[in-house]
Amino acid sequence: MKKLKETIKSFTEIEGGLMPALHAVQEQEGHISKNAISELAHAFNYSKAEVLDVLTYYDDFTLEPSGEHVIRVCGAEACQSLKSKELTDLLTDHFGLNLGETTSDSKITLKEVFCLGNCALGPSVMINQTVIGEADKDKVLSFLDNIE
Amino acid sequence: MNTPIKIYIPNETASNSVGAIEAHRTISRLKGIEEARIIRNGSWGAFWLEPFIEVEKEGHRKGVCYKSVDLSTFNTIDDFLKDFESRQPFDIREIDFIKKQKRIVFSRIGMDDPLDISFYQNSGGYSALKNALNLDQQTIIDKIKKSGLTGRGGAAFPTGIKMQTVSDQDNSLKYLACNADEGDGGTFSDRLIMESDPFALIEGMTIAAFAVGASKGFIYLRSEYPLAKTYLTRAIEIARKNNFLGKNIQSSDFDFDIDLRIGAGSYVCGEETAMMESIEGRRGLVRSKPPLPAINGLFDRPTLINNVVTLATIPPLLNGSHSDFSDLGSGKSTGTMPFQLCGNIQQSGLVETGFDITIGEIIENYGKGTKTGMPIHAIQIGGPLGIYLSSKMMSTKLTIESLQTIKGSVGHGGIVIFDDTVDMSEQAKFAMEFCAKESCGKCTPCRIGSIRGVEIIDRLQKNSSSKEDSILLNELCKTMEATSLCAMGGMTPNPIYSIINNFPNELIDE
Repeated sequence: MKKLKETIKSFTEIEGGLMPALHAVQEQEGHISKNAISELAHAFNYSKAEVLDVLTYYDDFTLEPSGEHVIRVCGAEACQSLKSKELTDLLTDHFGLNLGETTSDSKITLKEVFCLGNCALGPSVMINQTVIGEADKDKVLSFLDNIE
Repeated sequence: MNTPIKIYIPNETASNSVGAIEAHRTISRLKGIEEARIIRNGSWGAFWLEPFIEVEKEGHRKGVCYKSVDLSTFNTIDDFLKDFESRQPFDIREIDFIKKQKRIVFSRIGMDDPLDISFYQNSGGYSALKNALNLDQQTIIDKIKKSGLTGRGGAAFPTGIKMQTVSDQDNSLKYLACNADEGDGGTFSDRLIMESDPFALIEGMTIAAFAVGASKGFIYLRSEYPLAKTYLTRAIEIARKNNFLGKNIQSSDFDFDIDLRIGAGSYVCGEETAMMESIEGRRGLVRSKPPLPAINGLFDRPTLINNVVTLATIPPLLNGSHSDFSDLGSGKSTGTMPFQLCGNIQQSGLVETGFDITIGEIIENYGKGTKTGMPIHAIQIGGPLGIYLSSKMMSTKLTIESLQTIKGSVGHGGIVIFDDTVDMSEQAKFAMEFCAKESCGKCTPCRIGSIRGVEIIDRLQKNSSSKEDSILLNELCKTMEATSLCAMGGMTPNPIYSIINNFPNELIDE
């Protein structure tokens, strides 16, 4: 508990510290819990509603923990031109998930992302922090096997 | 003693995405590797050749594309070198794709370790800043005005005029904010600078800050670029250690430092006022202008906002290659533009060239045909708020002025190729879907209009001859265009107009 306080504290002294503080909490805890919202509100002298107002605007901040591995399939135009929609369908079918959902064993979260800047080698998929270019279902699954 | 062999293995998102990480892992474990020197360079921007691994022996540097090659069968460095020679290595600087370009801003990418500050300085880096610190600030602004440089982020506003406005403000504290929220689908030029030549951005920011009197800089980087974050974090530290950031830069009385801030997955935060809201720690809602950020920006202070490529253009501009840059093109389309050729195209990558080129020439000279071998059907220019050209429009010039006449824009320079399997009604629908997903929600035409747009296009997909829906779509687009607060809602109709006009019977029957 104390650690969360400490994490947040270092950001209260800098200009516009709430965003970096949210990133730090998300990274440390895997999501922004009710407790973290209270701590953030207290540290920044905001109401809890104000903290919630900011964090719910951004896709990266989640109120619930994500799966152990987060798969982001790019759905922007360059990847569309190389059939990213079909790839998305194959992956949603394979994991039995809709976009934005997490498997019941909390292993995999499947999301959509708009542009990873890898538009020259699409379709692109990001698994955690790694981008896979010229992606297909096999590449994605074998990457997951390797990091398991 | 012989100079050791150098092996260049890129560490850059696109190269890594197709095997550079694995190649580096394998090569660095080969027996005898200690006799060679491995350099993690940036990418040359010829992405279809990645992972492009180069070997330099006795001053001769050649490379090979190692895509889908299993290197794990090699045990020794000699196994690798023998295999390398058998693959007909070539000098990448001699291929047409690179040779035909006019690389001024991207002159350094791919050559060496992007974090090697000695390399940066030996290749002309930081000489522009050192000169600038001895110049009158107005002289620098005048030079940038005279160069004709316009913003490369999308709006193409004259950079020098913006700098003048910030400079003219009498305020004890001014900011510089670098917009590195490169969100347009089909673009990666900012990423490539940040990953393959980060000091160019830092130097450009430092010069711009000195010229306008800003003492603090922010880089607002999108979270989808983790490798760029790593590079920038390290480059900022290295620049500080070498007195290129911090107090009394290069023994002058100029203080300037940079704070790297990370976005959180919102496209509209690439709009400058939404970006400021986000940096200040709020929802990324667009602010109405005026006041201009140059007068009242971040934390209510005068703020110079430019995108990555614009700022990285400043050092080479001031560095004697000034006329090389400004003699190219005219009007708003002066200088070079990094076009990003991607999607379904064989030779994909970064093409820095003058604006005075047709889309047909870019495809013929650099991109060649589609990856799938099918005919080209549509070309998207300028990102989600740009337009789609048909394959009959190959003579369209890529100047800002020429695209404006057909309600398009160069935007951030993205060019996405589609083959003839594309369904243009789906692309039209995506324009509205994207707006619905990414709208900040502040103004009604964008927030609600985009949802109604998706519904109308859904109906048109079932009955493309519906006069009623075709009129309704047109009226909706006109309303969004005229009444949205920012370019998100205001320009979302552009791709839809272009599909109606350039692709008859594909969304609406004539």
